[in-house]
Amino acid sequence: MCQFKIMWDIIVNATPQLIVAGLKYTIPISIVSFLLGLILALITALVRLSTKKGPFRIFKAIFRFYVWLFRSTPLLVQLFIVYFGLPYLKIAGIAPDGIKLTPLVAGIITFSLNTGAYCSETIRASILSIPKGQWEAAYSMGMTRSKALSRIILPQAVRVSLPPLANSFIGLVKDTSLAASITIVEMFEVSQQIAAENYQPLIMYCLVAALYAVACSLLSWLQGYLEKITSRYITNVD
Amino acid sequence: MLKLEKLNKRFGEHHALVDITTTFPEHQTTVILGPSGSGKSTLLRSLNLLERPESGKYFFDDDVFDFAKGISVKDTLNIRKQTEMVFQGYNLFPHLTVLKNIMEGPVQVLHRPKAEVEREAHTLLAKVGLADKADVYPNQLSGGQAQRVAIARSLAMQPKYILLDEPTSALDPELELEVLKVLKQISTEKRSMIIVTHNMAFAREVADKIIFIEDGHILFDGPNERFFKTDNKRIADFISAMTFANI
Repeated sequence: MCQFKIMWDIIVNATPQLIVAGLKYTIPISIVSFLLGLILALITALVRLSTKKGPFRIFKAIFRFYVWLFRSTPLLVQLFIVYFGLPYLKIAGIAPDGIKLTPLVAGIITFSLNTGAYCSETIRASILSIPKGQWEAAYSMGMTRSKALSRIILPQAVRVSLPPLANSFIGLVKDTSLAASITIVEMFEVSQQIAAENYQPLIMYCLVAALYAVACSLLSWLQGYLEKITSRYITNVD
Repeated sequence: MLKLEKLNKRFGEHHALVDITTTFPEHQTTVILGPSGSGKSTLLRSLNLLERPESGKYFFDDDVFDFAKGISVKDTLNIRKQTEMVFQGYNLFPHLTVLKNIMEGPVQVLHRPKAEVEREAHTLLAKVGLADKADVYPNQLSGGQAQRVAIARSLAMQPKYILLDEPTSALDPELELEVLKVLKQISTEKRSMIIVTHNMAFAREVADKIIFIEDGHILFDGPNERFFKTDNKRIADFISAMTFANI
């Protein structure tokens, strides 16, 4: 019984600190990075799907390289390069003393670029999944490519892309724990600090895991809700 | 008046359209017939520029476009606004209600006032017998209903020509009849229609002019009555096969 009492006290004491760290860092970093990542992903997907020829192909190559780069290297290494590495990148005229970023800025930039690379493929696939006949019907009535995209294709692609985008968002929430390694005192970092004081790593890490699970469960619920409202036009689906 | 001169279209090695020269008179119904793979759909889609022939001239009223030189984006959009396509697979926009499907082109492309377009859309829906389906999503419609909505959608653009690509091929005979009745009514209103179809009875009923294509060549180009009395052996065989005359 005594053990449960100790455990309970630890949980009661630590949880508020963890929640504060979550509200201060984990959640804002996740939301801001995901929104920036989504914008970047949409731009990347549209550039890569563009039918423009000529010099525009250089843009396509640049965005293809970007996706390759961020999908082919570990997120932790990317964080280290941006936060610890860039201060040593000295560019005469622009950044003679190297590019020094605060931990939070470095974190958000890296998470945005990383999630943007993955989400761009999701969005690209969802656009490609819309039947050719939809483009043709839009073109047939005299729509431009951008009008067909914004009015006909993207509204349908949103529905298709929701489950995999939710995957990426949930993944990102958990990946923000890596921000601990670039000195951001987010939820996981706080749990480590408390564990170092009270010598209860099992309880502390299980507790922080549970808090991540709560956050991600809320997102799963949000995903279900969004799927429901974007699938209004589909019948015969329960 | 729509006119084509020496139109050629290739898909790789396959020469889909060979030196096609013909006219599609205004206020008439032109029916394009031919066996599967003959090039009749490619011909129809070329008129809406969904296919780009490699060479040939395209006359639209007083304008002449040369496929060999390419057609600018502006001209393409202009031609498309005046030639509405009705597809075999309907291609209604599933995320928009029936009413919004019909309003989409006039509001978004022609930039006409919403209220006025909405009134017209209701009138068009009544015309195709679907006044009660305005607020329904397309996937709650039967095939026949969906195709009638697609026809209303094309009419809403008030195009010079309506192009129908095998509009009833995906329908069973009863639903086909629903659609054919609507098309027949439109044809009696002296609109300019070009229809690709396999239904000979319907062709005979509505066509002013018939074009018969095989292997990318026009084998017949003339008035309805002459087509069904032709002495061309190949066409006579086609007609008898399509009408199950010698089953």
